[in-house]
Amino acid sequence: MPPSGLRAVCLVVALICLVSPARAQLIPIKTVPIAQGDQFQLFPANNLGMGSASIALADSLADPFANPALGTRIAGARLFSSPTLYSVSRNAGGGRSLPFAVLARSRVWYGVLALALQQVDPSRPPQPEGLFGLGVAVPDAIRPVPVDPSPIPGPDLRAHGNEYAFAMVGRDLPGTRTSIAASVLWTGLHALDGVDLLYAGSQRVAQNGHALDLRLGAVTAWRGERGDRTLEALVLRNDFAATHTVTYADTYWDPGVEAFRQRARIEHNVDQTQTWGLHFKYTVPLTAAGWRIGWIGTLNRSSHPKIPNYELANVPAIPRDPGYTTAFDFGIGVSKVRGRATFGADLVYEPIRSYTWADATEPMSTVSGDTLAAGAKTIENHFHFSNAVLRLGAGRDIELPGGGKLFGLQLGLMLRSVHYNLSQRDNVQDLQRRLTTGWMEWTPTWGLSLRFAEFEIRYAGRATHGAGRPQSAFSPVTWAGRDVALAGGTILAAPNGPLNLTHVNTTTHQISLSLPLR
Amino acid sequence: MTRHVRTLCILVVLGLAACDDPNPIEGVPESLDAQLRRQFAQWNIVPIGPSPMQDPAMVALGRALMFDKILSGNRDISCATCHDPAQYLGDGLALAVGTGGSGSGPARTLGAGRAFVPRNAPTLLNSSIGMPYIFWDGRLTRFGPPPPPPDVVLPATANLLAAQAMLPVLNRREMRGEKGDVDVFGNPNEFAQFEDTQATAIWQGVMQRLVAVPGYVTLFRAAFPSIPASSLRFQDMATAIAAFQTDALMKTGSPFDRYLARDNNALSVEAKRGGVLFFGEARCSQCHNGPFLGGRDFANSGVPQIGPGVGQAAPLDKGRGELLDFQFYQFAFRVPPLRNVELTAPYFHNGSFATLEAVVKHYNDVTTSLRTFDPSTLPASVRDSYHGDAATINALLASLDGRLQAPLHLTDAQIADLVTFLKSLTDPTARDLTGIIPASVPSGLPVR
Repeated sequence: MPPSGLRAVCLVVALICLVSPARAQLIPIKTVPIAQGDQFQLFPANNLGMGSASIALADSLADPFANPALGTRIAGARLFSSPTLYSVSRNAGGGRSLPFAVLARSRVWYGVLALALQQVDPSRPPQPEGLFGLGVAVPDAIRPVPVDPSPIPGPDLRAHGNEYAFAMVGRDLPGTRTSIAASVLWTGLHALDGVDLLYAGSQRVAQNGHALDLRLGAVTAWRGERGDRTLEALVLRNDFAATHTVTYADTYWDPGVEAFRQRARIEHNVDQTQTWGLHFKYTVPLTAAGWRIGWIGTLNRSSHPKIPNYELANVPAIPRDPGYTTAFDFGIGVSKVRGRATFGADLVYEPIRSYTWADATEPMSTVSGDTLAAGAKTIENHFHFSNAVLRLGAGRDIELPGGGKLFGLQLGLMLRSVHYNLSQRDNVQDLQRRLTTGWMEWTPTWGLSLRFAEFEIRYAGRATHGAGRPQSAFSPVTWAGRDVALAGGTILAAPNGPLNLTHVNTTTHQISLSLPLR
Repeated sequence: MTRHVRTLCILVVLGLAACDDPNPIEGVPESLDAQLRRQFAQWNIVPIGPSPMQDPAMVALGRALMFDKILSGNRDISCATCHDPAQYLGDGLALAVGTGGSGSGPARTLGAGRAFVPRNAPTLLNSSIGMPYIFWDGRLTRFGPPPPPPDVVLPATANLLAAQAMLPVLNRREMRGEKGDVDVFGNPNEFAQFEDTQATAIWQGVMQRLVAVPGYVTLFRAAFPSIPASSLRFQDMATAIAAFQTDALMKTGSPFDRYLARDNNALSVEAKRGGVLFFGEARCSQCHNGPFLGGRDFANSGVPQIGPGVGQAAPLDKGRGELLDFQFYQFAFRVPPLRNVELTAPYFHNGSFATLEAVVKHYNDVTTSLRTFDPSTLPASVRDSYHGDAATINALLASLDGRLQAPLHLTDAQIADLVTFLKSLTDPTARDLTGIIPASVPSGLPVR
């Protein structure tokens, strides 16, 4: 009986990993139920404990980071910090972030400056639970003889850091209820959660890259009989580039010493993705008091000029070069704010089309006797996704004795359903494969807050279930991790080989503190 | 508000109930590459590293010795006669023809009154790869002492390969000659006069011949500068031959080796299909596994018995069973490594199958193949020595390796794919090895 959550996932051939920071209006894609660390939940959010419901429910803390023009709601100067930590269950990884930000307004101008430091632990295969899962000993007869004096670095067990710098400036247009703003988020990346597990059998993965996220947003509002109507618009550009320097310890037979030995092999993999995005949101009040309804529409167009050669289930060097993805989301949300009670719900449908392929690096003969020229497509993958997201949450503030103090409680739930069809064409083997599959991830959320007249402190948490991470598996060639995992973005992998996952949960805790600046 | 919280709680419970585990992704077959890579891990198939560098002086000496008939009692056969570069370091014969024979390669014939060497001359290609057993019966091994009874006590040598090079000169049929033989010059064969137990005397005799040749004195001095000619031992000579084998006969640059080195385009689709069969349904890898695709195990493959036989079982050849009296070893022979197997026909310990197709068809249903073996497929020279009587066949089948007892039911297309895979094990540089044949040797005896 496999462990809970163990899945036989057929994997491989083309894999695209958009490991850029997963921010609002960047639509995530996953083709395998791999658990992702909550690495990019950096900045505070009012609604984090309410399932992150956000279409019809304003989030004064998070909104300026999603659409800079929503910084128009900044009323005065404030300083905030939101230490965040996440962990993957079964000791499979984790990380910590410490952001600081200043929000300020001067008449029609407003802006935000934020810096964040982050530490990400190395990903590890999930540890078995209980006393009976202590691993499988490798028989001495097939263990490589450690006679090679050449240095092969061991696994990198250190945590590595990332740096984030965010700046936003906006202006209210006088005489109108319109505001425009632009933001830039620069990320220096040395540790993307789970990337080290993408290279099965590797000794260590050194990451070095950056992401640049540029946004230009606008918001306008009209007064109506029942309240304000708002229209938001956003254009974004996200560039991601990283190099993964991967060290493998390859086992080979050395005729000189008549024994198995290991030698180091270092590969440099470049990962590049560019995304253009367009986003609109329109909200209006409903007839009943306190209710609002909103609609969103988002378009992402991503191209992947270079994708790393990930090691998946011991399948090396499969070219996974170009591809592109067109992703939409269409959502509707309702909210109710009445007195000190808040409720929000979003329903989002995400149709996604993705096309990826592998290039022939040299002329290749096909099973039918033809020859594919260098550069021809050897494998083509067409993905059609029909994903859906449901976000629900409710909150209530309670006035504490003494006056001026509010205690808040939030509960929420986020459900993400992934469903896709894959049509894969293998032009070498002349095979056509089809796959229809899906799964659901669910994330309960919770939050507490304490608001004083001068400052507020919040705690929010969430735990994502329904996904897994590759487990350690015995391999006669002593490769420790045979399968893959990824966190922090999008996974787009055409099924082709076995992948064993062990069910893990990702739990995130965030404490945010907001102080006024005078 | 209470109503909302209640609704939320219900949703949470529903979520817990409905979303525990996602459905597994199913229905997409593994690619050939994925299957092969997984099978490599399963069967411990890893790349072969480079050969250790050899002293050029040692290699030069070894090369001369390998091709010089002076090592044989009758001065009529060299190592390279049966391990001929033109025949990919074999001889192309079913059973080897030793001293007294004439001609070379498949055209080589027995001398008057001579008998075949009872087993096929295995190729020396990749003989220095580090295999744990040498000879068809594995009587030379690096796993402890050789099986009893020891024919000779070998002196300490640099490696197993050098130890192997010391044995053919002791064998009367192979290189030493029979009592009363005269050499090609009409002189008495002094090696043949020794008793079979006098190995040391025979080796000393060979060395006396060598140090009497000025060309060898020079070559030995270069290879062993610290050893005076009077102190040179036969194992020094054997070490030089092993150095030549290591330097010149390692051929591990096949498409399969390139595939192992992470080039997925190195193998054709047919070869990949054959590989998946080899490591899977066809069960070849149950014996042919590890870095050499064999060489580490013994099996009774139900091979028809031909030839003069070996030891007490003669005219049968019980292989390792002649050395170790276990049922498993009766008629069992070393599982050969398979690199360059395309070049080294005929196959098995007695060359009873001429083509790879025939070998794979034999494995497709060993019992039927053995019972219906057609001796007319054998070369005429050994056809009469086929032992096809019911008792012999039943004895062979009684100890048939358990891994071969069930038919494979491979189709003709699958057999063709398997053969294509086996041909992908050929190093292109092994297809013409005549460049290593010297024009002459120090003794002045003819090289061919």
